[in-house]
Amino acid sequence: MKKKYLKWLIILLLMLIGIQCGNSSEQFTIWIGGSPRELDYWQQIITEFNKQTGYNLQLVRQPTYSDQRRQSLVIDLEAKQPNPDLFLMDVVWLNQFAASNWLQPLDKYVKDNDFQLHQFFQSILNSVDKYKGNLYALPVFLDVALLYYRKDLLEKFGYSEPPKTWSELLNEADKIQKIERKNNPNFYGFLWEGAQYEGLVCTFLEFTSSHGGGIMNNGKVDLYRKSNIEALQFMQDLIHKYKISPPSTYTEMKEEEVRLSFQRGNALFERNWTYAWKLHQSNGSPVKGKVGLTILPHFKGDSSVSTLGGWHIGISRYSDEKEKAWKFVKFITSFKSQKKLILNVGWNPSRKDVYKDKQVIAEAPQIKELYYVLKHTIARPTVPYYSQLSDIIQRYVNDCLSGKISPSTALQKMQNQIKEVEKIYGTE
Amino acid sequence: MAPNSNKYLRNDTGLAYLFNSPLIIITLIFVFIPVVGTLVTGFYRDVTFMPNKFLGLANYERLFEDIHFWQSIQFTVLFVTVSVMFELFFGMIFALILNETFPGRGILMIAILIPWAIPNAISARIWELIYNFEYGIFNFLVIHSGLSAAPVNWLGSPISAFFSIVISDVWKTTPFVTVILLAGLSTIPKQLYEQAMIDGTNILQRFSKITLPLLKPVIVVALLFRTIDAVRIFDLIYVLTGGGPGGSTTSISLYAFKYYLNGDFGYGSAISVIVFLVASGLAILYLKVGKFTEMIK
Repeated sequence: MKKKYLKWLIILLLMLIGIQCGNSSEQFTIWIGGSPRELDYWQQIITEFNKQTGYNLQLVRQPTYSDQRRQSLVIDLEAKQPNPDLFLMDVVWLNQFAASNWLQPLDKYVKDNDFQLHQFFQSILNSVDKYKGNLYALPVFLDVALLYYRKDLLEKFGYSEPPKTWSELLNEADKIQKIERKNNPNFYGFLWEGAQYEGLVCTFLEFTSSHGGGIMNNGKVDLYRKSNIEALQFMQDLIHKYKISPPSTYTEMKEEEVRLSFQRGNALFERNWTYAWKLHQSNGSPVKGKVGLTILPHFKGDSSVSTLGGWHIGISRYSDEKEKAWKFVKFITSFKSQKKLILNVGWNPSRKDVYKDKQVIAEAPQIKELYYVLKHTIARPTVPYYSQLSDIIQRYVNDCLSGKISPSTALQKMQNQIKEVEKIYGTE
Repeated sequence: MAPNSNKYLRNDTGLAYLFNSPLIIITLIFVFIPVVGTLVTGFYRDVTFMPNKFLGLANYERLFEDIHFWQSIQFTVLFVTVSVMFELFFGMIFALILNETFPGRGILMIAILIPWAIPNAISARIWELIYNFEYGIFNFLVIHSGLSAAPVNWLGSPISAFFSIVISDVWKTTPFVTVILLAGLSTIPKQLYEQAMIDGTNILQRFSKITLPLLKPVIVVALLFRTIDAVRIFDLIYVLTGGGPGGSTTSISLYAFKYYLNGDFGYGSAISVIVFLVASGLAILYLKVGKFTEMIK
C-alpha cells in the first residue's frame, strides 16, 4: 500500500516540477481582468489583432478586483517571468511598476513614423506615464470624475444650469431636498464616495484641489494647510451640518452604492466616474433621460478639478516578444480601436482625435463635456509607495467625516504619518 | 561477529535515510527553505522599487511602533480565542452524539462533515452570499421575522464583521474537531462506563470523571491544530471582508500579505516571521501543557 502511495507522490511531484519548467516561454500573452462582459470584448479585439498580424496573442483572464490583478502581476514580474508580455495597469500602479524596473521603456518605439504620440493628452503622459524622463506606458482608456445632476428637478425648481461652485450646489441641494423629502423620505441632495477605500482619496483630492489645496505641493506632500482644512471641513459639514449628504456616506458609499442610490431617484447630485452614465441611461433605469453631466464644482475664486483614473498598457521588461508586444500597443491605441472602444463598450478614448470624430459625437454626445473635463484632471500622487499614502489618507479622512476628529487634527496626523512612510520609502 | 553486526546497523541507518529521503526532501524544499528564506529577507530592506540593503533588526523595530500591526495582533488573538472555543464546544457535542449508535448516524455524520470538505475560499464565498446586504438569506430572515425593519450590513461594522467571520470559521472547522474527538472517544473502553453506572453515577459525573480526563490528550491535539490554523487565518478573511471595515478584521497573515502586495518583501517577511514564531510558540506550549511527548512514550 505504502509503496503505491509513494509512487503516486513522486509522480505528482514530478508533474509539479514539470509544470514549472514547462512554463513555455514561447507563449505570447496579455493579462487583463475585469467583468466577464469586458473580457469577452477584449477577446474579440485580440482575435482581430491575431487575424491581422498572424501572431498568436493569448488573453489570460485575471480576476475582476483590481488588487487581485495587481497581486498576480507583482508575483510574476518580481520573479522575472517571460510572461505576461503585456498587461493593463491601473493609473496608480504605474509609478510602482516603473520604479521597480518591471516595464520596458517605450521611448524607442514611439519614434515609429506611423505612431502619433501627439494625439495623446500630453499632460496625462507627463504626469503618470513617464518616470524619470522615460515613457513606460500608454493610456488605453481614461476615466474622470463627474458631477451628475437631475435635469428634471433643476428645471422644476427654476435652475437652468448645473451649479458651478460648491456653495451654489449646497444652496440648490438644500432647497430641493427640503421639498422632495415630502414625497421621498430617502431623498438626499448630494451623494459622493466617502467610505474608507481608494475612491475616498479621489474625492478628497477633488474637494481640496478645487480650493487651491491638494495632497502634493511642489513635489512634496503638503496636507496641513489652510485650504485643505477648509475643504475637509466642508466635506464634514455636508454630512453633519448641512445634512445634504447621508450619514452612510462615510460607512458605505463607494461608487456602486452612490450610483445605485442616485439611479433609484434618491438624489439630486452625484459625484461619480464616467461608467455611471451608460447605466443611468439604460433601459429600466428610473432616471433615464433625466440626467445631465458636467465638471465638478469648485470653491469660489478657484477652479474645478477631476481625479484622473483609467487603465494603461505596458510591456514587461522580461517579455521575450517585445516587438510583437509593441505591435499590439500600437493596435489598441490606434484611432480605429479607440473609436470602437467608446462606441461598443463606452470606454473613454485616450486619443484626442477620437473626441472630434463626427460619428462618435453623434452616438456618444457626452464626449464633448468629457473632453473639457479631461483638460482639468489631476493625478493622484505619483510615488512608488502610493498605496501606503493612500491607506493613511483614507483612514484619517474617513475618521474626520464620521465626526470623530476635526479636520485640522486629521490633516496633521496624516502629514506626520506620511512623513514616517517617506522616511522608510522616500530615500535613495 | 562484532564488525558484521556493525555493518548491518550501518546498513539499517542508511536504508532508513533512503526510505525517509522523500519526506526529508519534501520537508527541506517546502518547509525549511521557505522559512529560512523568510527569516533572511526579514533582515533586509527588500522593496521592489528600492535597492536591497541589510538592515539588521530595523524591520522588527518598525513593527514595534506600528499601531496597525498591534491592531492585527489584537484581532488575531481575539479571533483565535473565540472561534477555537466555539469549535471545541460544538465539536464536543457532535462527537458525543455521533459516538452513540442510533439509526441515521451515518447520514448525520456525513452532514456534519460536509463543511470540512469544502475549500476555504469557496465556503467564504458561500458565506459572503449569506451575509449579502441586498439579497443575503440572513437579511431575508431578519426582516421577515420582524427582528429588524431595515437590512443589516453584516460585514459593514467592526463588531458584526468579526462575528460573521467567527461564524463562518466555526461552521467550516467544527467537523475537524468532531472527527478528532470522535476518534478519541472510540478508544475509551465501554466497560468503564458500565462499571460507573453500576456505581450509581449520573451522566454528568461520567462525563467529567471518565470522558474528559481520558480525552484530554486528544483535546490537546485538536486545540493544537485548530489554534495554529486559526493564528494563520487568511483565505476566509481575504474573501469575506478583505480585512475591512477600516482594517478592523485584518489578521496578521493578511497584514503581512498587504506589504507583499505593495512590494515591501522585507517588512512583510518580518511580519511573517512573527506569525511563525507565535504559531510554533503555541505548539510548544500545548505540548508542554498536554504532556504530549510523555504520552507518546
